Amino acid sequence: MTTGSRFRPDRSTVGRRGFLRIGGGVAALAALPPALTACSDSGGGSGKLRVVGVADQQKPIEELVALYRKSRPGDEFATSFAPTDQVQTVVRTQLAGGNAPDVHVLYPGSGSAMSMVELAKAGLLADLSAQPWAREVPANFHPAYQHDGKTYLYSAGSSVIGAIHNKKAFARAGVEPPKTWSELLDVCAKLKAKGTIPIALGTQTPWVTQLITYALVPNAVYAKNPGFDAEMASGKAHFRGSGWADAMGKYQELQRRGFFNENPNGTTYEQQTSMVASGRAAMAVQVSAVLANFRQAARNPDDLGMFPFPGGDDAGQLWIPAGIVVGLGVSARSRKSAAAKEFIEFLGKQENVDRWAQSVAAIPFKRGASTKTDPVLDGFLPLIDDNRAVPFMDQSWPNAEVQPAHFAAVQNLLAGKTDVDGALGQMDEAYGKKS
Amino acid sequence: MSTSTTRGPAAPGRGRRRPRYGRYVLELVMIAVAVVFLFPVYALITLAMKDPRQISESPLALPSPPTFGNFGDAWSSASLGPALVNSTVITTVSLLLLIVIGSTGAYYLARCARGLGYGLYILFLLGIVLPFQLGMIPLYRLVDDLGWLGTYQGMVLFYTGIQLPFTVFLYTGFIRALPPDYAQAALIDGCNHRQAFTRIVFPLLRPITGTVVILNAVFIWNDFFTPLLYLGGSDKETVPVGIFAFVGQYVSDYGLVFAGLVLAALPILIVFVVLQRYVIKGFAGGLKG
Amino acid sequence: MTSTSEKTVPGAVGTAGGGPKTGRGRPVRHRDHAVPHWLFVVPALVVYSIVVLCPSLAGVMYAFTDWSGIGGFSFTGTENFRTLFDDGRALESVTNTLLLTIAVVVVQNGIGLLLALGVHTGIKSRALLRLIFFAPAVVSPVMVAILWKYVYNPENGAGLNGLLGAVGLGSLRQDWLGDPSLALWSVAAMVVWQYAGYSMVVFLAGLQGVPAELHEAARIDGAGSWQRFRYVTWPLLAPALTINLMLSTIGGLKLFDQVYAATNGGPGTSSETLSTVLYKEAFVYGKFGYSTAVALVLALFVAAVSLVQLRYLRAREVTA
Repeated sequence: MTTGSRFRPDRSTVGRRGFLRIGGGVAALAALPPALTACSDSGGGSGKLRVVGVADQQKPIEELVALYRKSRPGDEFATSFAPTDQVQTVVRTQLAGGNAPDVHVLYPGSGSAMSMVELAKAGLLADLSAQPWAREVPANFHPAYQHDGKTYLYSAGSSVIGAIHNKKAFARAGVEPPKTWSELLDVCAKLKAKGTIPIALGTQTPWVTQLITYALVPNAVYAKNPGFDAEMASGKAHFRGSGWADAMGKYQELQRRGFFNENPNGTTYEQQTSMVASGRAAMAVQVSAVLANFRQAARNPDDLGMFPFPGGDDAGQLWIPAGIVVGLGVSARSRKSAAAKEFIEFLGKQENVDRWAQSVAAIPFKRGASTKTDPVLDGFLPLIDDNRAVPFMDQSWPNAEVQPAHFAAVQNLLAGKTDVDGALGQMDEAYGKKS
Repeated sequence: MSTSTTRGPAAPGRGRRRPRYGRYVLELVMIAVAVVFLFPVYALITLAMKDPRQISESPLALPSPPTFGNFGDAWSSASLGPALVNSTVITTVSLLLLIVIGSTGAYYLARCARGLGYGLYILFLLGIVLPFQLGMIPLYRLVDDLGWLGTYQGMVLFYTGIQLPFTVFLYTGFIRALPPDYAQAALIDGCNHRQAFTRIVFPLLRPITGTVVILNAVFIWNDFFTPLLYLGGSDKETVPVGIFAFVGQYVSDYGLVFAGLVLAALPILIVFVVLQRYVIKGFAGGLKG
Repeated sequence: MTSTSEKTVPGAVGTAGGGPKTGRGRPVRHRDHAVPHWLFVVPALVVYSIVVLCPSLAGVMYAFTDWSGIGGFSFTGTENFRTLFDDGRALESVTNTLLLTIAVVVVQNGIGLLLALGVHTGIKSRALLRLIFFAPAVVSPVMVAILWKYVYNPENGAGLNGLLGAVGLGSLRQDWLGDPSLALWSVAAMVVWQYAGYSMVVFLAGLQGVPAELHEAARIDGAGSWQRFRYVTWPLLAPALTINLMLSTIGGLKLFDQVYAATNGGPGTSSETLSTVLYKEAFVYGKFGYSTAVALVLALFVAAVSLVQLRYLRAREVTA
């Protein structure tokens, strides 16, 4: 260790003096920011209305912003879109920093970090109750749009979960969309015999894991006990030992019978899409918002249809999941809240609700004479009108940990790492955590 | 200095005294490794030349027919033109600051390797270790208070600060390996510290400066989260922000995304090729100085 | 070790103080010159303090609160830290983090060194090869993960499995990301692919500092290529090795983008690392205060590992 030691004497003297000065300078600089706060304007100083959305909202928002600006060319917008995870992180940081965008992405109900209830509780959302469209939201959707009786979310409507199927693959096996659970098992067996994968499953992508459970739970739980959510909230009911066990058991049964592709945990959503679009698989349990993606992957978009996934054996009493789609909220601290609210009011007009809904294959929350829904959703409308639609389960969960616990539980179940009881136990544990 | 005057890397095995076949074997082995490395690159490029249906049907087969439209579409719909300008400005200015501040700071730390110098060195090292979430919200507030959201200077400040520990770390390691004698000789000859550094030490740092440039450039050029946070919605958005806007949860056009990615990678690869030449030449010249 | 290398490499340029003109007998006056003025470090320190140190210090406060990340909060003392040590999810992820780090550090630097040695020769394609090996590092990590999901497609005819089948290695086909015991290693392979070229670049910077004269001299002395590597190149690569090992260790311990985008910690929680847990606590579960506590513990852990590593490596640099 001969190196460096000869520098010792001078370094310590120079250094100590220097350090004190540096220390003073740093302290002065650290004190600077608060002093600047008083005279600075946040938000990048532009006069534009800032809108931040997830990538899936880009198409409808850009289309509607362009339309809005036709009548008011003076209003300028600064829009940005990014993948869901990143937007969630960015908007939460901006909310924490007290500089939220004027209008930003907002998830319906509760149960996620950017959900309406979570943000409304923190006082971060502007009340939209006075807007004309807010009064037209049907009562059964109120939990998604409202907190404490006030409307905070704008969303164009609901998307349904069902089976997106390849009509050609069905025709090859000579089968029709099933109406009951036993018909479904029968159809799957016939498809399998023809060498077609009956159900493509891509649970490598976390959000895909939940779709089959969600498709089965309305029949297994809510058809029998509409008050289940309240019982869960009061601690009277648990996932374990409830109808959820029945739904998870059916999920497992489909796998046990070999009705899924091999290795669902290694298969992504994109690969699932490709399997159905190409006809290698006959169907996939999916949310209607993905229709555009399935169609662009298919040789002929009309090869694809969608039907309610039959979770029960009474064809006339089938229940389905229908969740309000991701929407927008107005920041409570927006300095342009008047302009922001005006834009939301514009979005709430029937024709614009229709436009948005159509571009994401959703069913508008209110339907007018001119409303056209995607024809493949026709089979779902009677069930919705008959109040046999249940919101996506996570939208009523008390904290943001239950949904990821559900993802992990399903992956573990499919990997054979746990059983139904174990999987639901994981979810119960997450449900019990304080938010 | 006979061998190092050649332009190639001054290294063993330049073949004068060595049996030639050894070099060919090595070359073949390296090419085989390169082919393995290229498989995902091949995947990237084929995906960039397909429409959604082709990607769905045969993602990694050769594109038939190849669609070059994705590149044009990515260019226009992600506004890659202005985004490239923004990314270039932010990256270049940040790099210049990093080189100046980082190399001078490291020079002090390397030559003062005990006591306070070592303490400061560890303090800088801490910056590489700290998870960035820790300071994220206070820093965001600071940039907001400065009125620097949506501006170049906000991003430049961020990158200069956040990459400084890494830069100081790289420079210090290599300066410590340089003999201090050259600088000392210059000081004895009457240079002041600044002159000794700029005329003697800094030129000797060429290889590591090249490394500092390329590795920092890669990080800054690709960073997505902070530009989205600081610049989202402004006219200063960078290339990754433009490209990522097309990655949806439900609907995405990956052909478009990967085409944008290929376009975004080209400038950095060009910088790399140029730097490699500069660095190698710099070495040969450097030792003579 | 020391003596041999000094014999082979007279007056090695690579180690500080080893140069020809230094000596203990130098007058004190000249030694004063050797240390640059402290003003040299001030700009770096100022910028670093503004952007990293002060905000991080301010951020530490949240570790002692129940802040959700939005809205108000109250101070909860050390509760977050006490929760942490009962948190099975966080503790489990420590093992994964360590395994991933070890794999990445060893394999990435091993391959990086071999690549650097391979392209730092007279072979004709060296410029192109460098570009090819470095190219993956240029793509953003999140996009690399999206891309590799096509490579890791478990279907038989697709991606890597398809390739293995085509070259007659069909028996090696795997469910790369779906098999809980394999997912973490698949992510590691992806990271190594991306950053081996990165390590290569740092090693190259070191190799370019090795004067050719030394090799010539060693060759004339009759040293074989292994001996030249062992006694000429390797000791002079010490700074580059220090940098690479430190950076990949810290990078491995903090690795986030690739894991999150490739597996999201799954299947189940089989590839969860400390960084993904930390991220989820902060931005998915809305427990910012708690996540800050995790971040602090992670930082202390990484700092401890890297300090030990640094001490060892710097000592080694001097003696090598």
